[in-house]
Amino acid sequence: MCFKNLPVEFDEQGNARLKEGVADPYSYEVTEVTPLDQDERKLKKLLERNGHIRQVDFDPVTRVAGALAFHTVVDLESRQVLETDSMATLFRGYEVILKGRDPRDAIFISSRACGVCGGVHSTCSALALEMAFGIAPPPLGTVARNLLLSLEYLYDHPLHLFLLAGPDFSEPAVRETNPEIWTQAERAPAAGKDVHGYSTIGELMTAMTPLTGELYAEALHMTRVAREAYVLIGGKYPHPQTVVPGGISATIDTSDMSEIHLRIVKFFDYGRKVVAIWNDLVEFFYEVNPQYREIGRRPASMIEPGQWDDPYAYDGTFANVDDWGRKRWAPPAVIVDGDLVTTKMTELNMGIEEFVEHSFYEDWTDGGNGNGAYRFREDPAGNPLSPNHPWNKETIPRPEATNWKDKYSWSTAPRWDRMAMETGPYSRMWANALAEDYSHLRFIEPTGRSLKFNMPKGALPAAEIEWMVPSESWGAFERNRARAHAILYTALIAYENLLIGLDMMRKGETAVSTPYKVPKDFRVGAGFWGAGRGFLTHHLVMDKGVIENYQIVTPSTWMASPKDPFGNPGPYEEAVQSTPLLENFEKPEDYKGIDVLRTIRSFDPCMPCTTHIHTEKRVISRDVVTCACGVDDEHEH
Amino acid sequence: MTWSPAPAESTTSTSTEDDPSDRLRVLVGGIGYRNLRDGSVGIHVIERLADRASDAVEVEDVSYHPVGLSQNLQEREPYDRVVLVGAAARGRAPGTVSAYRWDGALPDPDEIQTRVSEAVTGVISLDNTLIVCGALGGFPDDVRVVEVEPASEQWGEELSSEIEERLPEIVEAVWSSTRP
Repeated sequence: MCFKNLPVEFDEQGNARLKEGVADPYSYEVTEVTPLDQDERKLKKLLERNGHIRQVDFDPVTRVAGALAFHTVVDLESRQVLETDSMATLFRGYEVILKGRDPRDAIFISSRACGVCGGVHSTCSALALEMAFGIAPPPLGTVARNLLLSLEYLYDHPLHLFLLAGPDFSEPAVRETNPEIWTQAERAPAAGKDVHGYSTIGELMTAMTPLTGELYAEALHMTRVAREAYVLIGGKYPHPQTVVPGGISATIDTSDMSEIHLRIVKFFDYGRKVVAIWNDLVEFFYEVNPQYREIGRRPASMIEPGQWDDPYAYDGTFANVDDWGRKRWAPPAVIVDGDLVTTKMTELNMGIEEFVEHSFYEDWTDGGNGNGAYRFREDPAGNPLSPNHPWNKETIPRPEATNWKDKYSWSTAPRWDRMAMETGPYSRMWANALAEDYSHLRFIEPTGRSLKFNMPKGALPAAEIEWMVPSESWGAFERNRARAHAILYTALIAYENLLIGLDMMRKGETAVSTPYKVPKDFRVGAGFWGAGRGFLTHHLVMDKGVIENYQIVTPSTWMASPKDPFGNPGPYEEAVQSTPLLENFEKPEDYKGIDVLRTIRSFDPCMPCTTHIHTEKRVISRDVVTCACGVDDEHEH
Repeated sequence: MTWSPAPAESTTSTSTEDDPSDRLRVLVGGIGYRNLRDGSVGIHVIERLADRASDAVEVEDVSYHPVGLSQNLQEREPYDRVVLVGAAARGRAPGTVSAYRWDGALPDPDEIQTRVSEAVTGVISLDNTLIVCGALGGFPDDVRVVEVEPASEQWGEELSSEIEERLPEIVEAVWSSTRP
């Protein structure tokens, strides 16, 4: 039984059903939140009486993708965070743009949701379309997509570790916010010197200095290596032109594979170097002050839809989603407080709800009185769905003034079994480490408490590198350490897919796409995939050849979410609230907020919002409805 | 702090001669997002100039990635001049076109770092292209800019009427910037 809070139970055969005898099973009471600074007079008095209590806003939070603002009330004497509010400050209107369009447009339009990893949206969209169309790619088409996904991650992880989060651990940042730590760092030997080449932690921090540091420059270079490989299949980065329903539209041959191979293997040694760097940094900070384990701490509750399809298992159907999902390189999983509660995609999907009590949207569910009229009471396999499930969701923007008690973000509040979840490369690895029936053991070995990576020889000799599931604490430093290991994890999965692809080519299995027709009848589909930062789903409803509803749930929607109707904070809010302020400052005005920023950036925030389309009157500025009638809807690549 | 590129000299020209230099190796780069109305003007311009491209004057959509552009420029045979065209909202009358030679002055390191972070996370703009390529390398000494004050950068596939009307003039301003 994986659900504690949803009104869902399972019969003896394991089939899910709504609990019997509950009149309005999905209804809920909204818990009123009582922000400290809701009452301006009360807050003013509080601040006047206590000069050490301050409102500190990070607006925008810099070195994150897109528009994120973060509001805090901090007690600089007790060095605690008293209150947090996470704000996505721009509207992502892709769901609105896509309504009424030819479903194939979704691949290209949804890609624009992100300027870092747009391709993951393209593929996720293709997966949703395949489920709706009833098609699946030939095996080599799936391998090609797996390579694209890996290469996006190999772009994304170095970028995060050295350009976005990394500068918080660089010499200038540490000198400015904790000079006593810099003094120790200069003398502290670096255990990983043989791998990364730096004798002391201080040298390492100096090399992480933005613009001038060697590690900063090297990360920029490695992002290029990944992009070069990506465009060999994708044509363009970050918005590929070759992802189509049923596979890819580019022809790939052994020459392309060789070019990609040359680039992937560079990440074997680079990844080991990055792991050694972050191991040294994390252990140094823990040794200097064990309280660094508490920075960004929150329960290890994670959601992972799984990714990297098995080319011989994926068939695109919802009927078999649990089977092909579990055969992915990263299996679908929900982890609650560190424990695996399911690896079934149907249960993962069933448990998802989105709430808008604190978001700038209108509620489409009759104010939480769930059993009003809603469209999809069950998924295609007959499992119960909430009125707040993405297949039932409608995006109805309602911009209004920010109010911490009511609405303050353009992010919705996604929850699984009504719990806040985080997601990221670590959720993939965590799921992989705990999953019992893992089938891709060539280079990766799950042990139940760790993942072992069998690294082939590069410039460095072959070796086994192990990532331990953090058992002591789960916080900002462990997120960064895990992301460093994710470079190895990703490179090995890419490498295995490359070898599989070459083997297919040797056998003459060179088809990369399958013909299809855009169906004109009513269909639903869902894409379950991943982004560099974790969870990604696209839920599609189509009829008469056009999109009726399209809902995207991104990793940052989960993690940047505002409070839910039950009064629980989103993951950023929760993690910052538990963060001790270890920064060294004498006067309140010297406070920089480094511990809060390290926490937020450890999630690798990405606020996909490049196109915003609302006006004050909520009028969409251009009618985008198209008709698929008469277009060429039969495709062969 | 708001950073704006500073002109070393105004280069506005009304020449419409179709006679690009055969002595200069020039890259004309359009910058902008597609489907953000006037924010896409740089791309519209280079699409109109595509058939005038030659061995001497290359025309390219360089909206892909300021860091990637810097890396590519450093690997290519050096250009004598780079001409960039795009929208830049600076509070002027919509449709205002400014053509100038960039003086190469950069903001402080914190601002540069912010712009690199923006660039790697998907922000595409004339300003961050200038700053990122200026800081990371790849530009020749001679960088010309043609910037257009947008009337609308909302979602949409078409330019505003103000910019649409001036598009031929903008195209010629860019082309004249390729001349010696």
